[in-house]
This record gives sequence, structure tokens and C-alpha cells, in this order.
Amino acid sequence: MVETWYILLTFMLAMFILLDGWNIGVGVLHYRLGPTDHERREVIRALGSSWSWNEVWLIAFGGCLFLSFPKAYAAYFSGFYLAFFLLLWCFILRGLAIELGHVIDDRLWRSFWDAMLRFSSVLLALLIGIASGNVVRGLPLDADGWFALPFFTHLGVHGDVGLLDWYTISAGIFTLVTLAAHGAGYAALTASGTVRDRASRIAPRLWVLAVLLLVVMACETIAVRPEFMRAMSTRPLGLLGFLVIAAGVGGLVVGHRGARTGLAFAGGCAAITGVISNGAVGLFPTMLPSTGAGQSRTVFELAATEHNLLVALPWWTLATMLAIGYLVFIVRHQRARHENKFSRSAYPKRL
Amino acid sequence: MDDVVFWSRLQFGFTITYHYLFPQLTMGLAPLIAAWKWKAMRAGGGPDGERYVTAARFWSIIFAINFVVGVVTGIPMEFQFGTNWANFSAYSGGVIGQTLAMEGMFAFFLESAFVGALVWGDRWLSPRAQFAVAMCVAGGAWLSGYFILVTNAFMQHPAGYETAADGTIHVSDFAAYLLNPWAFVMYAHNMTAALVTGSFVVAAVGAFYALRGIFSEQARLFLTWGVTVGLVSSLVVAYPTGDAQAKQVAKHQEVSLAAMEGRFDSGSMAEVNIIGQPNVAERRIDNPIRLPGALSYLATGSFHGDVRGLGAFPQDQWPTNIELLYYSFHVMVGLGTLFIALMLIAVVQLYRRKLLTNRPLLWVLMLAAPFPYIATTAGWMTAELGRQPWLIYGLYRTVDGASRTVHAGTVLFTLIGCAGLYFLVGVVYLVLVGREIFRGPGPRHHPYAADDEQQADHG
Repeated sequence: MVETWYILLTFMLAMFILLDGWNIGVGVLHYRLGPTDHERREVIRALGSSWSWNEVWLIAFGGCLFLSFPKAYAAYFSGFYLAFFLLLWCFILRGLAIELGHVIDDRLWRSFWDAMLRFSSVLLALLIGIASGNVVRGLPLDADGWFALPFFTHLGVHGDVGLLDWYTISAGIFTLVTLAAHGAGYAALTASGTVRDRASRIAPRLWVLAVLLLVVMACETIAVRPEFMRAMSTRPLGLLGFLVIAAGVGGLVVGHRGARTGLAFAGGCAAITGVISNGAVGLFPTMLPSTGAGQSRTVFELAATEHNLLVALPWWTLATMLAIGYLVFIVRHQRARHENKFSRSAYPKRL
Repeated sequence: MDDVVFWSRLQFGFTITYHYLFPQLTMGLAPLIAAWKWKAMRAGGGPDGERYVTAARFWSIIFAINFVVGVVTGIPMEFQFGTNWANFSAYSGGVIGQTLAMEGMFAFFLESAFVGALVWGDRWLSPRAQFAVAMCVAGGAWLSGYFILVTNAFMQHPAGYETAADGTIHVSDFAAYLLNPWAFVMYAHNMTAALVTGSFVVAAVGAFYALRGIFSEQARLFLTWGVTVGLVSSLVVAYPTGDAQAKQVAKHQEVSLAAMEGRFDSGSMAEVNIIGQPNVAERRIDNPIRLPGALSYLATGSFHGDVRGLGAFPQDQWPTNIELLYYSFHVMVGLGTLFIALMLIAVVQLYRRKLLTNRPLLWVLMLAAPFPYIATTAGWMTAELGRQPWLIYGLYRTVDGASRTVHAGTVLFTLIGCAGLYFLVGVVYLVLVGREIFRGPGPRHHPYAADDEQQADHG
């Protein structure tokens, strides 16, 4: 059951990064995709009316982490205290910007929220990357398995570490570029007019940069936590992950060469999924890796009781099927009714 | 003050109080909107159906703004268990993690999939589909409330758990946990209170339009629905739901009841203090106006029932802020009583067709809008202050629950940050909702002007 929930949590986190990742990416590129105010409205429209469904995967992940590995939830959330609150404030600003940013027909109102959207999206992408980097690098656990990270110390990866060091900052930049590329790929598929054209031009360039940075990250990770990369390379699931990443990159190359935005987007999704999956494979079974005095904690030590994990599985499965069902229903209903007007009227210009 | 528990409590209390201002309107409005959508669907078109279409559309826009703010202020809540109450989370996650996760998995996915369609779906959904979407969003909101209340009910009255070897608690009987009897009573009481909020706000807007002499057809609709649902919900929130809630507190949280009522001595023929200041140092009420026997009757069903006072319990089990708890409870009950009186008068006037011209009453109805918010806040303060000094009643103390590695200064930083951000959010909310109310309902203000026309405007 422990392994099962580890996989389910990885799945939820991957769904969040994949789905809300394109929302974040679009927010990051907001001004690039839409130099004019009118085009920026088109960018928001391309996100669709159910965009927040994507964000729910993070909430669901948090709740499920709480139920399945309560000590890990507690240690991570209190250890990353300030970073979490920054994350929350970004989610608040982003949510308001997307939902309310274009409901008043006033230039200043829209400009303010466009700026908020970009600011919060960029910070979100960076924070997700920095947090991931921290997990891989390891945390300064005390004897009881708690930690507290200052924002920065000496920017090095050993000893008295902080939230920000050269490795985690690299991870942050890598995530920013990747999510921006992913967002561009999404906009190339769902936006219309000049926004779509711009997205189609930006996406390939960003993806090239993202793949380069992925190679850089891999090298850095070998230097910082060699056992992490070793685990990935020796476990069957890790090798499968490499294949998926390769297939994803292949899809990106073929898709961008042949102007097949759907294939490119799918390739990007596969690459991202492969990276996240391999991250989970490389981490297992150490859910709380330590650089400090305390010992690293494994998933087995941190898990709730077997009964707990067992009893949650049926309702989790039902809930996931329902959740996907709702989205499929509403998206198909929107599309069917509004084949050529989907991009225009699914999200009106103003209240 | 170098007390991380104090600042964490203040932060949680502030963020949850602020957050709950919005879901109570969401949960109270949703059934009304669904009912109007149903009426519109049944009427099938024509002026009668059109009334309900207009009402539903107007309130859906306010609902949407309210929903968005509710969502963004709600996200910090799930995270805050981990950030500020890490010890509590590690201890109890095996139990409360289940319902917090279920809320995300069941309710949030449902709401987020359909809320966009609720607000913007007028164009591309049939009336029947619109009604279904409204039911989905309403259902999601009410489901969310249920999971949260099961979590809180566990904290008030633990059920269905067992203690593991490492001292942490986990679910042993899932059904007993989910079907905690405390949760049903709490849910009934809380959701009825949400209906009070929703109906009072609708009535207030109707009163505003009636006083101004504008949107008269919609004003009549808002007032009719507002005061009728308002009366029924105000009655039900007091009896049987409020009564049941008080009785379960009397049975399982005697210390709480004593503190709520400002009762220091024990005995039968216990009185209710209608008013008076609790003087904890001297263990009495100053300047009391009492109703003898009433507390015994309400708590036990008999005037001769014994109700124990604070003096009968060791002081380390007393709620940590008796004065605030006392006032929270009295404010809630006082307002609840006034609500019944107000809506009773309004319904009578409505029945006699005099409501729309009774200006003093319309003024009161309009100005009454904020008071359900005060009452529900006071009610939640009663519940949570009454739970002290426990985080989980009888099992785990609040002082033990705070995060070990977070310092008071850090918490104060995030508290101020949240307060500042929420202030901005509040201003945005009031501007948007106020604007909507001033523009009013009706085809004159159609949110979906033709795209081509707008394209031409903004090229």
C-alpha cells in the first residue's frame, strides 16, 4: 500500500505540473504572446473556463499527502514555511488575475491584473523548481525529522543549506523555462489568431532551451546527489522514464519540424511526465532526504497505517474517475456547442 | 510576544474567519440560483420564465466573484495545517487527512469543472443543462462543507480512531468517523446558517432596489424569496438545529457550555444570562439579567436538570478565553433571535402586500445584510473557542500542536502578509460586487453583448 500511495501521489503531482503547468506557462508568457490588450484577453480566453480544475490537483495532492504520509506533510510544510506562503500568495494573485482581471472594461484595471498574472506565474514556476531542487538536494533534518530552511545561507549545497543555492536556483530556472515552453505549446493549440501564431514560433525555441537545461540539471544532479541519478539509471521504471523522455523529445522535434502543434504538445507532455516520474523513482524510498544531523526518513517510516491507506484507495479511485468525467463532459459540451466560437465566447470579454 | 502558538492561532483564526465570509454566501446562494434556474426551465420562456432567468444571471455573477474570492482565500487553509500546526498534523493526519483529501478530490474537482459553465454557460447551455450545472456547483459547495465539518466534528468529538504504537492516531472505523453524529448536527446548523446569509443578502439587495424605485420586478422577486427563505432558515437555525447543537455541547462539552453561559456555580434550575459581563477573576457575572431555569431546560429538557458550572472542573480544562467565548455565543444567539423577529415581520408585511411600500422595514432589511456574517462568525468563534484548550477534545492540546521549527517572528511576517493581501482582495471584492449591484439586473445590462460589436469597439 505504501508503494501504491507513493505512485498515486506522484500521479497527482504530475497532473498538477502538467495541467496547471501550462496555465503557469501561459501566465509567464502573457505579455510575449499578447503585446496588445486585446490579444492578452485572447490569451486568458485560451485557458478555458475550467482552468482552475487543473490547480485542484495540487490541493488534492496536499490532502492526500496529509492522509498517506502525515509526518512528511507536516515536515515539508513547516520546513518550507516561508516558501509555502509565497506560493499561496502567488496562487491567490494568479487566481484573481485570471478570473477578475478582465471583467472591468478599464485600462488601468486590466493592466494591473496582467502585471499581477505575470509576476505570480513567474514566481510560481521558480518556486516549484526551487522546492523540487531542495527535495533532491536534501534537507537539514534534526534528530526528530523536522527542518527549517532560511531563504539562503552560503548558496552552497553542503552543510548549512538554505532554500536557495546554486543547485536549487538552477532547478528553478529550468522549471521556469520548461513551463513557459509547455504553456507556449498549449497556446499554440488552443488560442486563435495572432496569439496562436506567436505561440507556435516561441514554443520550439523555448523547448530547445528547456532540453538543454535538462541536460545541465542532470549533470548538476550527478554532482549534488549521485545516488539519486544512480537509482534512476538502475531501476526498470527509471529506464522506462528515460525512454518516455526520449520519446517526448522526439515528438517535440518531429512536431516542431513539421508544424504539427498537437504532436509537439504531446511530446512536451511526455517529456515533463518522464522527468517527474524519474524524479519519483530516483527519490524512492527516501521521502525526506537529510543533509543534516538527523537521519533520512523513508516512505515506510513516514506512512500512515496500512488500514488507512487501504480504506482511502476505493474512494480515491472513485473521486478521480468522477473528476476526469466532469472535465471531459464539460469540455466536450463546450466544444460541441461552439465549434468555431469556442475561443471567442466561452469566456466573455466583460461582465 | 514570543509565543508561536498565540500567533499561529491568530493567523489561523484570521484566515479562516476571512475565508468563511465567502463560502457562506456561496453555499447560501447556490440553492437559490439552482431554484431559479429550475423555475426558468419549467416556465419554458415568456415573461414569467424571463424573470427567473434574469434573477439567476444577476446573482450568478455575484456568485462567481464571491466564489473566486472564496477559493483563493481557501487555498491557504489546507496548507496551514502543515505550515503552522505540524505537530498536530503529524499526530492526527492519519484521521483528518482523509476528509481534507476527500474535500479536494470530490468537492473541488466538481466545483472547478462546472463553475465556469454556471457563470458563462447562458450562451451555450440549454436551460436544462444550466440547471444541472447549477446543481453540480451547489452540490460541490455543500459537499465541501460536509467534509470540513466532519473534520471539525472529529476535533470536537473524536470518533472512529485508534492510537498507533508511535502515539499518532489513525482511522480505525471509517464509517464511524464519517458519520460522526456531531457532524450531522453541526452540518445541519451550519448550512442553515449559510441559507440565512444567502437569503438576507438577496433580501437586502431587493430592499435597496425597492427603496430606490428601480428594477421593481426583480426587487419584488428578491424580496419575496429573500424574506421567505430568510424566515424559514432563521427559524430552523435556532430550532431544531441550534437546539440540537447546544444539547450536544451540554452533553459532551460541559465545560464549554459553562463558559459560553458564564456559569461558574453548579446546580439545577440553571439560569440563562441574557446580558451581563463575565468576571472570571471573581467567578461571577456583573450586571446580569437572568432567565431562571431556562438553561437547565434548554440543556437537559427539564427545569430541574443539573448543569455544572466552571467551578466543578479543574482550571486547566477551562477554555482559554472565557470572556470572548461568552460574548461570541451571546452575539450569535442575540442576532439569531432578532433575525427571526425581523423576517417574521417582513413575511407578514409581504403577505399583506405592504412590504414593497414599507420604507422603514425596507431600510432595516437593507441594513441587515452584514449581520448574518457577524452571527456566523460569532457562531464559529463559539465552536472553536469552546473547544479550547483542546485541539482534539480530550485527546490533544492546542499548545502541543504548533510547528516546532517555525518561530513567532516568521508567523507574524506571514500573518501581516496575509492581512495585507486579504485587504487588497476585500477592496477588489467590494468594488466588483458593488458595481454589479449598482448596475442591477435586467436585459439593459446584458453581460453577453455580441462579440462582433465588442470587437468593433476594442479592435
